[in-house]
Amino acid sequence: MPADRTTEPAPTTWTLPPLGALLVAIVLIACAEIGGAAMVRFKIDLARWARSTMLRHPAVHGLVGVRDVDEQVLDEALVKFDAGLRLFHMHAEGMGLVIIGTTMVAVTLTASPVSRRVIVLLLTIGGAGYPLGYLAWSALIPYHGIERGKTLAEWFCWGPFGGATIVAMWWLTAVVAARMVRR
Amino acid sequence: MARDTRAFGVAAAALIVLFTATPGWPHHVGTYTARDNAISANFKQIKFSIQAGKFDVARSLFEDGALRKEMLARAGRLPPGLPDTVANAIRARDSKTAEAALALFFSALARDLAREADARLADPGTGADARVAAGGKFLEAIWRYWNLIDFAVSERDPKAAVAMRLAFEEAETESQPGPRRVATAADPARLRASFARVARTLSDVIESLSAVTRRNS
Repeated sequence: MPADRTTEPAPTTWTLPPLGALLVAIVLIACAEIGGAAMVRFKIDLARWARSTMLRHPAVHGLVGVRDVDEQVLDEALVKFDAGLRLFHMHAEGMGLVIIGTTMVAVTLTASPVSRRVIVLLLTIGGAGYPLGYLAWSALIPYHGIERGKTLAEWFCWGPFGGATIVAMWWLTAVVAARMVRR
Repeated sequence: MARDTRAFGVAAAALIVLFTATPGWPHHVGTYTARDNAISANFKQIKFSIQAGKFDVARSLFEDGALRKEMLARAGRLPPGLPDTVANAIRARDSKTAEAALALFFSALARDLAREADARLADPGTGADARVAAGGKFLEAIWRYWNLIDFAVSERDPKAAVAMRLAFEEAETESQPGPRRVATAADPARLRASFARVARTLSDVIESLSAVTRRNS
């Protein structure tokens, strides 16, 4: 009787990532969903808050007190404010899944415990922190303007957390490639 | 273990490089396209209705729209009876006169902005850089209005249209930081001169369009 191929053990079984990493990923996805729902439910309130805050900081936004000039400045800032929230929603959902997938690859294929721990840590922290940069950017726009807000988000979120993810991803790539060569 | 330490060192170094380098790589967070305000949106609706020969629709859009309200609010700075000129031209199915009267209105809006910018630039209470930056925003607003009527003016008065574009480009060069600005430091006086030229050119456009609307009404 031929062996049932579907019941044969796989050459490698996937290993579950640390529960901490999984929790971070799931919380991130949950935050993305809450963020998306809040964006719809409080769209007008959020826009009103952002607009009134910008009007309280006219110098930051270069408002001159002339309707034909200011309405475009405010409109652009509000569009970017909304874009930041949307990008947070999208990236938080995506990065949550990226954390789950990549940490699973890391714990399954990285032989060295130190490398494994560092890669998982970088992927988890980087993946969770990067999307928060978009949320921070949105919150900063009314107080610091579009460009200054973006610079702050780049320095404190996108740079370090995005950098951590990129480093971990390339490290993981090297680990997988080295494993292929050794096979 | 030594290999792990080396790998960790390389990763940390890469992280530091990335951390310091990424703020230099601007994140792409989408582009913004300027939207119409109530006046320019109403103008486009009226214009397209006239072009489609739907004069009844154009009339109701003009009678109830933001454009006429703005005309009435600025009546003191416009040629007398401009709203009536537009309404009569639409009623008479005279698309050329209606278009000229509407172009006149937007020229007046742009000229008022140029004069306001000139007044702001003359205010010594604000720093030179802030004044020049505000001048740039005024220019953008002027261009948005001019852009709506550029073609209509070019058809009737090509010299004025070219003069306006040249004056605008000169003002733009003066208002932008970096290599495009002729002077190394922000110079409100030079920008004022450019705005004065823009305002003068627009006054000439208003004059020639007024002659067209008077002749046809």
